[in-house]
Amino acid sequence: MKEETIKKYVGSSLRHLVLMISSILFAFPFFWMIMGIFKTNNEIWQTPYKILPEHFDVIGVWASVQEIHFGKYILNSFYVGIVGTVVMLFVTMLFTYVIVFMPGRWTNRIFAVVLAIYMLPGAVTYVPSYVILSRLGLLDTLAGLMFTYLANIFAVFYLRQSFMKTSRSYIEAARIDGASHWETLRYVVFPMNKSAFYTVFILTFVQQYNNYMWPSIMLKDQEKYLVSQGLRQFFIQDGAYGMNWSEVMLASTLTILPVIVLFILGQKWFVTGIMQESGLK
Amino acid sequence: MKNDMKVKWVFMLPFMIPLLLFWIIPLASAFFISLTDWDYISPTFNFVGIENYVYMLTDPDFIEALINTFYFSVTTIVGTIILGLAFALIFQKKFSGSRVYQLIIFSPWITPTVAVSLVWSWIYEPDKGFANYLLGLMGIAPLKWLHSSESAMLAIIIFTIWKSIGWTMLFYLGAVERVPQSTYEAARIDGAGYWSQFFHITLPLISPTTFFLFIVNLISTIQVYDQIQMMTQGGPGGSTTTLLYLYYEKAFQNFQMGPANAVAMVILLLILVLSLISTYVSSRFVHYD
Repeated sequence: MKEETIKKYVGSSLRHLVLMISSILFAFPFFWMIMGIFKTNNEIWQTPYKILPEHFDVIGVWASVQEIHFGKYILNSFYVGIVGTVVMLFVTMLFTYVIVFMPGRWTNRIFAVVLAIYMLPGAVTYVPSYVILSRLGLLDTLAGLMFTYLANIFAVFYLRQSFMKTSRSYIEAARIDGASHWETLRYVVFPMNKSAFYTVFILTFVQQYNNYMWPSIMLKDQEKYLVSQGLRQFFIQDGAYGMNWSEVMLASTLTILPVIVLFILGQKWFVTGIMQESGLK
Repeated sequence: MKNDMKVKWVFMLPFMIPLLLFWIIPLASAFFISLTDWDYISPTFNFVGIENYVYMLTDPDFIEALINTFYFSVTTIVGTIILGLAFALIFQKKFSGSRVYQLIIFSPWITPTVAVSLVWSWIYEPDKGFANYLLGLMGIAPLKWLHSSESAMLAIIIFTIWKSIGWTMLFYLGAVERVPQSTYEAARIDGAGYWSQFFHITLPLISPTTFFLFIVNLISTIQVYDQIQMMTQGGPGGSTTTLLYLYYEKAFQNFQMGPANAVAMVILLLILVLSLISTYVSSRFVHYD
């Protein structure tokens, strides 16, 4: 018995040790990023090597925050992430309502097409989508970017899964009482599926906030850049030798911060959303 | 009933218009463009049939991109799956503090690739980067990391594994939790040790998840782009040019729309085949009971 207790104790300590080392490895790039903010260029290039900065000059860093004008990129990203996702959810909600509660031969066929597109890589559509946007006069506009995000196949799948679990008797009761389809959707289906909406919102927001390739192709005006583009611009403008690592790290930290905060606040939605993505749970 | 039909259309159109404009029409046009010599600037183009595809097969840039993509995908997936499973096994029994560790391991996955690529390119910096400092402490000669065609892909792979372990771990965590405890108890009574239980119970029972993770990770690694654009721009000497990066170069830097879309069709075909295999296998061999 005693030997077993010791074994258990050693096992548990070993596990914590392994996890502690791994956590340090995983978190290290973030730690390095934040330390980098406080390092001067001299400190970065000097020998012997330094891990911690000499001073934590918070006031100096605050001054650089205002100096690098990074706020507008973050605002653009938030605008696209919030407005774009809310409109997308509204459009998806209407579509999914028809797919789930008003099925018919045509709606089933349309859904089969959506199903077929699910796994396909969006990137292969970039050239024609670029041409279509420019014909519509929406190239290089945030509205155009949000428009291209409207047909979100993942959102259809997720809401459909959730809607299908809604008891049909509620829908029928509402319809018999004379509620229109819109009223049924607004006052019965939507409130009963709120958590699915939260999950899709949070996942889509983060996905659009992090998105880089498509926005970098279709947005050319620097005033309209999203965070990732702004960050890249910031990174390449000085060239490799004039690199001001401390400012680059500051801009990176400002970019990451909102996502980390959102992640910590909305853990629950993230985890259920990701598990559902596969249809495994 | 007639009224219902009207409602259907009103409800579906706002979704169907962008679906048509940015999915269905582009997919068809991309295929069509791949059969032409269009250069984006001129209003006219010639229909060249399968010439772009024939050229592609003899183009060393394309062959290299295909090999790079394959090498990147397989290495990243093997690393991600082994480490993701290892962490899931550590977390198999709940203990105090496990949640915090999980959050830390998962956090790289949700952060923007562009932002974390920047700090990694500093870590990989040959003269004053942390990676070489660490190698120095262990007495290993420094590497040139992103600046050498021999190590650049390795650097990108390490970065990508770091970023994707958390997601894979989360799926494995769900899978190992679903293995019935009674199976383990029965095995213990028969005298099976930890590793024997792992190889004879856990591994076979979670194989559907392993298969799923393999396919999904393959589909996403084939489309790697952000970190390549940030860290190497396909270099040095094309050593990190993957299929999607080649597509970007051909389409949006060289305006060779025909060849670019031929590359896109290859990417599309690869992913289509993978998702068909996945659907077929999971409908045939995986039972959820």
